[in-house]
Amino acid sequence: MGKIVGIDLGTTNSLVAIVENGTPRVIPDSDGNSLVPSVIYFSENGEVLVGNRAKEKMVENPKHTIFSIKRFMGKGIEDVREDLPLLPFDVSPESEHIIRLRIFGRDYTPPELSAFVLRDLKRNAEAALGEEIKNAVITVPAYFNDAQRQATKDAGRIAGLDVLRIVNEPTAASLAYGLDKRKQGVIAVYDFGGGTFDVSILKLSEGIFEVLSTSGDTHLGGDDIDEQLIRLVLAELRHTPEMRGVPAIRKAVVKAKEELSAFETADIAVDALNYRRTITRSEFNALIQPIVERTLAPCRQALKDAGIKPSEVDEVVMVGGSTRIPLVRESVQSLFGRVPHTELNPDEVVALGAAVQADILAGGKRDMLLLDVTPLSLGIETMGGVMSKIIPRNSTIPASATEMYTTFAEGQTNVKIHVLQGERELVKDSRSLAQFDLKNIPPMPAGLPRIEVKFLIDADGILSVSAQEQRTGKYQSIEVKPTYGLTDEQVESMILDSFEYAEADIDARLVIEARIEAETVLNATARGLNNAEYEQLSSDEQSAINAAAQHLRETVKLEDHHAIRDAIERLSEATMRLAELIMNGAISKALKDKRVREVQ
Amino acid sequence: MNFFEVFNLPRILNIDPKALERKFHELSRQYHPDYFTTAPEIEKQKALHMTAILNDAYRTLRHPERRVEYLLNIHGFKPDGSKAPKALLMEIFELNEQIEEVRSGTASPEQARSLAGLIREKRERFDAELQAASREWDSLVADGAPETKLKQQLEKLTEIVSESSYIRNLEGETH
Repeated sequence: MGKIVGIDLGTTNSLVAIVENGTPRVIPDSDGNSLVPSVIYFSENGEVLVGNRAKEKMVENPKHTIFSIKRFMGKGIEDVREDLPLLPFDVSPESEHIIRLRIFGRDYTPPELSAFVLRDLKRNAEAALGEEIKNAVITVPAYFNDAQRQATKDAGRIAGLDVLRIVNEPTAASLAYGLDKRKQGVIAVYDFGGGTFDVSILKLSEGIFEVLSTSGDTHLGGDDIDEQLIRLVLAELRHTPEMRGVPAIRKAVVKAKEELSAFETADIAVDALNYRRTITRSEFNALIQPIVERTLAPCRQALKDAGIKPSEVDEVVMVGGSTRIPLVRESVQSLFGRVPHTELNPDEVVALGAAVQADILAGGKRDMLLLDVTPLSLGIETMGGVMSKIIPRNSTIPASATEMYTTFAEGQTNVKIHVLQGERELVKDSRSLAQFDLKNIPPMPAGLPRIEVKFLIDADGILSVSAQEQRTGKYQSIEVKPTYGLTDEQVESMILDSFEYAEADIDARLVIEARIEAETVLNATARGLNNAEYEQLSSDEQSAINAAAQHLRETVKLEDHHAIRDAIERLSEATMRLAELIMNGAISKALKDKRVREVQ
Repeated sequence: MNFFEVFNLPRILNIDPKALERKFHELSRQYHPDYFTTAPEIEKQKALHMTAILNDAYRTLRHPERRVEYLLNIHGFKPDGSKAPKALLMEIFELNEQIEEVRSGTASPEQARSLAGLIREKRERFDAELQAASREWDSLVADGAPETKLKQQLEKLTEIVSESSYIRNLEGETH
């Protein structure tokens, strides 16, 4: 197995990291940035940009510049209805169970869109590590449900990655945090990111990181703070701007929000709308107080579920960009009664932890082990629309439960099973996870078949189901059709679709590599022209070199690595004799130097 | 494999939580799927299923009430509240009425407090009973007592668990 990278696929930014010589480090892109904005831009001619280059298009071309796609993972249209007014994207009419964004007449699901970001990270890692990367650990918010986890795994597959493990973000952070300090005791991880909020309570002892409880809100983050500020601006504008004005407002309020973490006042300036105002930190605090308050209820819930009092928490670790906000820090400090840790970069700590988990999977660290939990109770629908819990929330995963089913009618050969997730009593208040039929039950009198159904949540927090009829011992084939997700066939066809991008990826990489080599050859040639030996060449030889160099300089601009390679070859041939002369000159010079030394 | 066997324990009810946790960590280090990423598929599956059973067992045995219920379950006993004696049912009925009064706001705060105290007292009495019966069960197991004796004790435990479930539910409602 090749190298395994750790990926933090974030709402706002994404990162890739790796452990080398026992130390995790973030792998920057070719421009040296460790954060890749989770933004994808589609141009009309089919070009796709990712990261900073895509982010630049946000204001000028909002409709085709997709951001915060993580909020749509594993969701149907009803789940995000209230966000849509502030988002400039076209939503496909076929979005009931999976949101689809329509971009230049083509529909994209969130896993496909996320795959663009993952492919970019994969490429950065490959360029930096000099080998193909096929395996990854990807992090998700701890409070992600089955469908959201599955969607993340699908995104990895579409990007050409084998996702060896889905790790919860706060848990990953604790791995990075506890790595060098050999900590013992109870820690709370408060993870407030761009789109999601998580809190996890862990017990650390002798390298075992045991999650006691987790809670959160997968729809609560910095984006909500931005939206509050956008609404403030919209309310103050005399006339409502068109949708296309919103990205400019968003950009201005994000800047103000970030400045308010360091300064007492900041300006919100939207030149295009002729809008400007100053906002003080206390105004800002009053505005976001309700959002910060919403993070505290899950904290109390997690403490209660873990059976831990706030005073029994030894350390509090802060993760996610939104924890830079002073009011957030103050609120967490007063809840837990201690100063939270902020020494690790809150943007990088999750990726670093993912890399540590990748290293554990690769067999590098046998002394560390992460024992995580399922954030939501798993249940099945029983008579009267009631959800019967079979695996309670905060159960250590992998976890399983077995239920017995039978038939109600003579000769009945099918039994319907509806699997749910959530904490509510009624089916209608729970999240539907999957529905399936137990098929081919041997015809028997009612109530006689005994079908044992095993529900298994794996270490990724993802459900699988198997069944066995006890009287015949026959295994049932179960096709689990996810309610809010892609079927295997759909993912397969997306992988096929993505090959065009994958090929473009390989081509892009080969072009980059060829360009780097071309530059090296051109530099060496330029140095050669300054050597005395150049004058020994015939004028034909000299003009051949200059022509070949000029040809390479032209060819480098093309997106064609074959042509670049050919031009490199041509220049190398033309400079062959010059290189020999220089080499000989260097040798005779070296011999001369030696003779001089010997004489002395 | 039943949950007691997973931890290589006799079917006892008083289990030292520290020792159980140590064993849980030790077995996790042995079987966890994280250590089988590069192993053949069959070993990966084995690790997944072993760890799932280990986690299910730990979740059940670490919790005293779940532990008793599990013990009864594997011996074919199912605690069932509907068989509680009439006197207890009457008592529960009355307590329920008082809770309703507290809920609807017709009771004073003092009445609410004393009701909560009363319910807690009753629950603690059941807890003490259950603990005593659990100790008796453990010594029967340790002494290798005959089947009939064990069965009698299981019936007694079933009765206590059934009856205490009412009080536990009531206590849950007063919070």
